[in-house]
Amino acid sequence: MRRALALIAAIALTGALVISAAAAPAVTPTRGGTLIVGSGVDAVTLDAPMITDSPSATVSEHMVESLYRLTPEGRIVPMLALGHTVSADGRTWTIRLRTGVRFHDGTPFDAEAVKFNLDRMLDPATRAPFRFLISRITSVTVVDSSTVRLVTDAVFAPLLAHFTHSSVGMQSPTAVRRLGVDYARQPVGTGPFKFKEWVRGDRVVMTRNDDYWGEKAFLDEVQFRVIPDDGSRVAALEAGSIHVAVRVPPREIERLKTARDFTVFVNDSLRTIYVGFNVTRPPFNDVRLRRALNHAVTKTAIVNGALFGTARVSDAPIVPAVEGYSKIMTYEFDLERAEALLREAGYSRARPLRAVFHHPSGRYIRDAEIAASIQGLVRRAGIELELRTMEWGAYLALTNRPQPENDVQMYMLGWGTVTGDADYGLYALFHSSQWVPTGSNRSFYKNDRVDALLDRGRTTVDQAERNKIYAEAMKIIMDDAPWLFLHSESQVTGIRHTAQGVVVHPAERIELFKAWIRR
Amino acid sequence: MWAYIVKRLLLAIPVILGVAFMVFAMVRLVPGDPARIIAGEAATQEIIEGIRKDMGLDRPLLKQFATFMGNALRGDFGRSVRSKAPVAGEVAARLPNTVRLATAGLFVAIVVGVSAGIISAIRPYSWMDTVVMLIALAGLSMPVFWSGLMLILIFAVWLGWLPAVGTGGMAHLVLPAVTLGMSTAAIIARMSRSSMLEVLRSDYIRTARAKGLAEAAVVNRHAFRNALIPVITVVGLQMGTLLSGAVLTETVFAWPGIGRLLVEGILSRDYPIVQASVLVVAMAFVLVNLMVDVLYAVVDPRIHYD
Amino acid sequence: MTRPLSRSRIRMVWVQFRRNRAGLVGLAILTMFLSAGLFAPVLAPYDPYEIELESGLKKPGPGHLLGQDELGRDMLSRVIYGARLSLVIGVIAVTIGVGIGVPVGAISGYFGGLPDLLVQRLIDVMLAFPGILLAIVLVAILGVGLVQVMVAVGIVSIPVYARLVRGQVLSLRSQEFVDAARAVGARSGRIIWRHVLPNTLAVIVVQSTLQIASAILSAAALGFLGLGAQPPAAEWGSMLSNARQYIRLAPHSVMFPGLAIMMTVLGFNLLGDAIRDALDPRMRI
Repeated sequence: MRRALALIAAIALTGALVISAAAAPAVTPTRGGTLIVGSGVDAVTLDAPMITDSPSATVSEHMVESLYRLTPEGRIVPMLALGHTVSADGRTWTIRLRTGVRFHDGTPFDAEAVKFNLDRMLDPATRAPFRFLISRITSVTVVDSSTVRLVTDAVFAPLLAHFTHSSVGMQSPTAVRRLGVDYARQPVGTGPFKFKEWVRGDRVVMTRNDDYWGEKAFLDEVQFRVIPDDGSRVAALEAGSIHVAVRVPPREIERLKTARDFTVFVNDSLRTIYVGFNVTRPPFNDVRLRRALNHAVTKTAIVNGALFGTARVSDAPIVPAVEGYSKIMTYEFDLERAEALLREAGYSRARPLRAVFHHPSGRYIRDAEIAASIQGLVRRAGIELELRTMEWGAYLALTNRPQPENDVQMYMLGWGTVTGDADYGLYALFHSSQWVPTGSNRSFYKNDRVDALLDRGRTTVDQAERNKIYAEAMKIIMDDAPWLFLHSESQVTGIRHTAQGVVVHPAERIELFKAWIRR
Repeated sequence: MWAYIVKRLLLAIPVILGVAFMVFAMVRLVPGDPARIIAGEAATQEIIEGIRKDMGLDRPLLKQFATFMGNALRGDFGRSVRSKAPVAGEVAARLPNTVRLATAGLFVAIVVGVSAGIISAIRPYSWMDTVVMLIALAGLSMPVFWSGLMLILIFAVWLGWLPAVGTGGMAHLVLPAVTLGMSTAAIIARMSRSSMLEVLRSDYIRTARAKGLAEAAVVNRHAFRNALIPVITVVGLQMGTLLSGAVLTETVFAWPGIGRLLVEGILSRDYPIVQASVLVVAMAFVLVNLMVDVLYAVVDPRIHYD
Repeated sequence: MTRPLSRSRIRMVWVQFRRNRAGLVGLAILTMFLSAGLFAPVLAPYDPYEIELESGLKKPGPGHLLGQDELGRDMLSRVIYGARLSLVIGVIAVTIGVGIGVPVGAISGYFGGLPDLLVQRLIDVMLAFPGILLAIVLVAILGVGLVQVMVAVGIVSIPVYARLVRGQVLSLRSQEFVDAARAVGARSGRIIWRHVLPNTLAVIVVQSTLQIASAILSAAALGFLGLGAQPPAAEWGSMLSNARQYIRLAPHSVMFPGLAIMMTVLGFNLLGDAIRDALDPRMRI
């Protein structure tokens, strides 16, 4: 990965990534204790292939591991796999698996288990939202107990990157079969922590897996507590009732600088925040209106206001740390232009453009506030948006409906390109085969040229060539404006000094694999 | 007395049935297909069909209600849309927190309310009385969710004495309990003041004073107990304020109780959760009222029931 | 029993009322509230919806007397417009409550029998939902939003009026003047309308002042829970719900909307008590 270096550089600029190393390199970790993370939203599901959001993935990855892993530095390293070979035609992959690994329920992790998990995700009946990650696989065969062979229908460049995704996590076939629909509440994986309990809307608790195949965790117990209110989460951190607070409101950074017991870190994220339009229905089937909104919003004001400068105005649908990124363009703030476009499309102050704008609350940094800012900003161009705030789970369900019944006009979302590869950041969102509920194309965007380019990007191995393909695709996408392009977030995390070794991963995960409590 | 209690119990039955019917009818009144509403937007067609069969939507309404009641009595409220887990478990996990909060709130309300009322009544129309009654009036007009925020501002943000939100030790309970108890305390204070005043003016107190008993003894031994009876009534009447106040208080303090479960349920359109939590809170209210009435019959021998 | 509100009676009541200091304070508060509500566009120094992202959460100062909220909107203007919204909520809710509750209570009380029994049980059931819970249930059915909240809060006040009026009608039904009207052959509808209801007017007026307060409070509570008015509405409850995120950075944004709710409710409570006392001095505790 050529971009890996850039990623490291960016992280170094924005703060220590591995916090323990920065704080106390010489101290030896102590075993024991409970570490509590205050998160903004509860996990939605803990059945790996059904996970679509990083809060769920963060919890899940402590218990369920994938074949490969994307390190915080942006490298792909083997996890439950030991290594792989690819045939000369690039379509047959042979993956060797780690031996002697068992799931938390004692079921052996072997080639059969891998086949079970991959087949389950590939089965359309499972309705795995991120099936596209591995959809190019046509067959999974067990060679022997520690080797699987995969055949893809074409050369599939990002496969290894996709194997790092938490959706492709390896779960105990026994438990999945036995628990059925209840599995989603009590996952069984191979990870360094075992599931203990999940009190809906309050906390998920895990305990150390003492039979872990790798280096065992230091902590006895890990808790992810749900504290939806940003201010409350910060208060809990200040009071010491939690060790880590995710999504600290950026406005608070200044005030919290004086805190003695904890530090607020600003880390890069692979996430882009955007407002999508449904391009198949009026009014936003008219590209002029989509462009008008892009021109009417002062992105810098949002970045400097609600986000206190901790974000970066988007100049492409993906962030610079993603492999395949290049700078495309930014819609300049231009009220006259916006109004001219609106007039062209038949709207005026007397007959203003009206639309309903759905947005989540508590999912992204200051999401509701940003939505309200957008509403207030476009008001100046004579656009009247009606805001609909929704709870995360219901919001996802609402925007996830198939095109014929999906009447959402405008919706705010973020996409973390957690595999670090442009395919994941573009294919899932803009390819016409990925319309929800199959994929994540909630705008129902369809452009044959873009489809062809994204298909070529997947099957091209040469990275320079891929970059060119993606640049062309992104240019068309930004011109078509199926989104109101906003910004890329940073992760603002408060960590108490007693909590050591906490890792803030650019894929928006808090990792506690090697964390410990200093006494 | 027993006849009265039995009668009171029998009278509660239509109310309980009515409440259950309203909760049952709720999802049928929401625009859209009830099965889909119960299953959630994201549910597959098979799940919706399954629920349609379970609910028996093709059968007569009363039969559907009978099924609903039968399930509810067995503690079966279906599965949560969001978590796919049985609703009963989610409610059971939250209920103890609400009970804890409501009990603590009630405690604050009674202790603060009764003492404020007595302080006022001992020297009526003094500056002390005026101040206490003004505070009571303010407490009465202050919305629970705002007084909670003000308490957080003062005791957690400015003074840093108490944790602002969440659950944990006793310290976490203080602010929510005070918030919840405040408006009820105000009502109890007003009630116990007037009740105390009435008792202090009564003949037997005058007799007690005439016997030369110390004022403290008069208040403690005679007046207090008799003044308490109307206060008990008020406490009973205030259980509703307390329960609905809990819904708001839980939101202010991120207290994982049944009230927050209900609000989260509505915001996430998780109707099985909404149904179960509404039913539990309303039933609790009906039962508490019943208990207060029965208790009243037991403690007050002066009242005769026919 | 209470008497109908004749002109001379109103004058007498006013004489009584003027002696009540608390009532006058309440009246003063409510005058402020009413004028804020009615003349909001004139009184508000800024457009309550105009954002100024660069000066979000600014503390109170000469330009913005109550400071600015997280989007840089003028707090004073929003609080003033909040009075307007609350006024609308209160009036609509009470209109629904009176419009349905009074006839239901009157008919149920006048005729008695099975309909009365059914209405009474229905009211029992509605009152079995403590406080704001019934409004929450209604919002769960109707959906989240300002209009839905007005309807929900209005429906919640129906049983209050129905029960009140029914009690009044029950005691009036056997009065001589009603008997007299019946004797001359007046129809029931006419008797209720001409003879019974005017006599209940006083209690309805008293109840309504208290009911407006309770409607405003409930609507604000729903707004606070996120079930009521949606952003960017300048509604006190939802303003509080937004502002509490910034309780540490900008306490002013939490103080003023809450203060506005408290003052308004206090005003109505004081006024309601005073009117009640003035109408019937014996009702005083």
